[in-house]
Amino acid sequence: MEAIFSGLWALADPMLLFLIVLATLGGILVGALPGLNATNGVALLLPFTITMEPISAIAVLTTIYCAATFAGAVTAILINTPGTSASATTCLDGYPLAQRGEAGRALGMAAVSSTIGGIISVLCLMAAAPLLAGAAYKFAPPEYFALTVFGLSMLASIGEESSIKSIMSGAFGVLLATVGIDLLTTVERFTFGINELTEGIGFVPVMIGVFGIAELLAQAGQLGIFRERITLRAIQLPSKADYKKTWKAILRSSGIGTFIGILPAEGATIASMIGYNEAKRWSKTPEEFGKGSIEGIAGSEAANNSATGGAMVPTLALGIPGSPTAAVILAGLMVHGLRPGPTMFTEQSTFVFAIFWSMLLVNVLFFFIGLYGARIFARATLIPLTILWPMVFLFSIVGAYALDQSMIDVWIALIFGVIGYLMRRYGFSVVSLAIGLILGGMLEKRLGQSMVMLDEQWWLIATRPLSLFFLVLTVLALAGPALLKKIKKFKS
Amino acid sequence: MTVQSKDSDTSSLNTSRWLIPGLIILFCIVAFYFTTQFDRVPEILKRGIQPSDFPQLILLLLTALACLLPFENIQYNRPAIPPSVFISLTLMIIFVLLTHLDFFIALGCFGGLLSFSWGERRLGTLFLVTLLLPTFVFFLFDLVFEVRFPRGLLTNLWYG
Repeated sequence: MEAIFSGLWALADPMLLFLIVLATLGGILVGALPGLNATNGVALLLPFTITMEPISAIAVLTTIYCAATFAGAVTAILINTPGTSASATTCLDGYPLAQRGEAGRALGMAAVSSTIGGIISVLCLMAAAPLLAGAAYKFAPPEYFALTVFGLSMLASIGEESSIKSIMSGAFGVLLATVGIDLLTTVERFTFGINELTEGIGFVPVMIGVFGIAELLAQAGQLGIFRERITLRAIQLPSKADYKKTWKAILRSSGIGTFIGILPAEGATIASMIGYNEAKRWSKTPEEFGKGSIEGIAGSEAANNSATGGAMVPTLALGIPGSPTAAVILAGLMVHGLRPGPTMFTEQSTFVFAIFWSMLLVNVLFFFIGLYGARIFARATLIPLTILWPMVFLFSIVGAYALDQSMIDVWIALIFGVIGYLMRRYGFSVVSLAIGLILGGMLEKRLGQSMVMLDEQWWLIATRPLSLFFLVLTVLALAGPALLKKIKKFKS
Repeated sequence: MTVQSKDSDTSSLNTSRWLIPGLIILFCIVAFYFTTQFDRVPEILKRGIQPSDFPQLILLLLTALACLLPFENIQYNRPAIPPSVFISLTLMIIFVLLTHLDFFIALGCFGGLLSFSWGERRLGTLFLVTLLLPTFVFFLFDLVFEVRFPRGLLTNLWYG
């Protein structure tokens, strides 16, 4: 209880509040710009937080996460291009509404449902994360190993093309994590005599490469695409009739989004798809979906924003990222010398609750900033690509360099930019690579500790109830989608 | 699921179907060879696993999954990589070469050339991405974040 108030008190710092307001504006701008999203926005801005105190740094990153997720709706509604992939389903009804001259109404509903979804999820985060952390105290290395394997197995469902490719990308990330000196034995691995590689491949340059520079190359391939932009006159709060029609969808999607967010690796994009589909399934007027349904916007936006709070639950309580952006935030926590996990809730409880409160604050902030600033942010979509992407490259390269003031990080960012572009082109998920890289070190360390603990009889991992539980979940996560498909096929 | 456009080029599909897994397996073989060169530690110091064990496990997993790839029933006919991507990649190589002269000259040149190659012809915009933005970023990081950039023709003027 004391930590809750000390966390709130930590937020009373005027400088921190100023940074949160600034990050909210930055996050909304990032989310509104097509091509940039919460994940690459957080990755690009991470180096700016190096000199900050950990509370300020992580509060800024989580603020950008929440604000950018909301702002994806602006471009989704006005130019039929989701600012973030999590807003893809918002396009389906937002743009038809905007074409009918109701862009303000659509944006108003997006702001309200995002705020409600975000607040509900942060409240769940405040309740669930300490409970989960408390339960995680019972975990020994074999349980942590099995949990990390489960976290990685969830990567199977996040790729666009195939589960195998997603797992391969994750495994490649885990392999990259083995570069450098093995901490258990001090043996050098894959360093090829390069001194700078002895400490391993840094998370931040890789993230900047695969999310920032790879996106630049992807944008280079989409030059000349014309986007029709709808003029926004004024944003409009939902009417009583709109509230009456959508409140169930908002609450349902908030629950769905929070739950999906808690699952390792699953983020706002999947949450918004399920939230939208459920809103349609339960709607009295499903035929309106895809043609400008206000329920569709509510279902999609409440779900994607509620996934942000949910995703922070496993990230902070277990050190397993709940979404792609949470993976970058996890890297940020590590850069600042913080070790996410159950001990964080006892040793750094003020820090943890300050982050919770800042996330709650940003959900209120972006409601007002979104409502009154939507017209200005909508203009951000007019920034020419010929200014935006050279600027992204500039910040990517300087950001990669600034962390350790080392040119090797610049080369790593460039190399992984090209690798990331090729991976995306051939259907391999760069998100899986990033999560694999973050979890790889932990996976190997826990495996080594488990082997020592179990006297090198690795199969005994499966004889411990909690480990067995996570391993069963792993099998279900890997085989479940294929099995369900077969059952459906058999039934039909 | 089969996603294939009518004008799909079967030979290119086959190439990507076999070529990519083949390249991955080749990478795994080379990486596996390197793991065999890692130092081994005495039994008493190995703390559960040898340094080469874990990477080898991952490489075997990657190889096994790469072997499954060609048999997946997913075929995407991908359009060719547009020339603008190759131009952007070439500019990145020019950036790398120019960093030997000066980090910020390289950044400015890249910004201006990228903008130009993407169709920008307005002098104001080119001036912005070539000169103004790199200068702003240099002073922001130098004065606010106290980052010291590599010495070069331009940065030496500031660092002395």
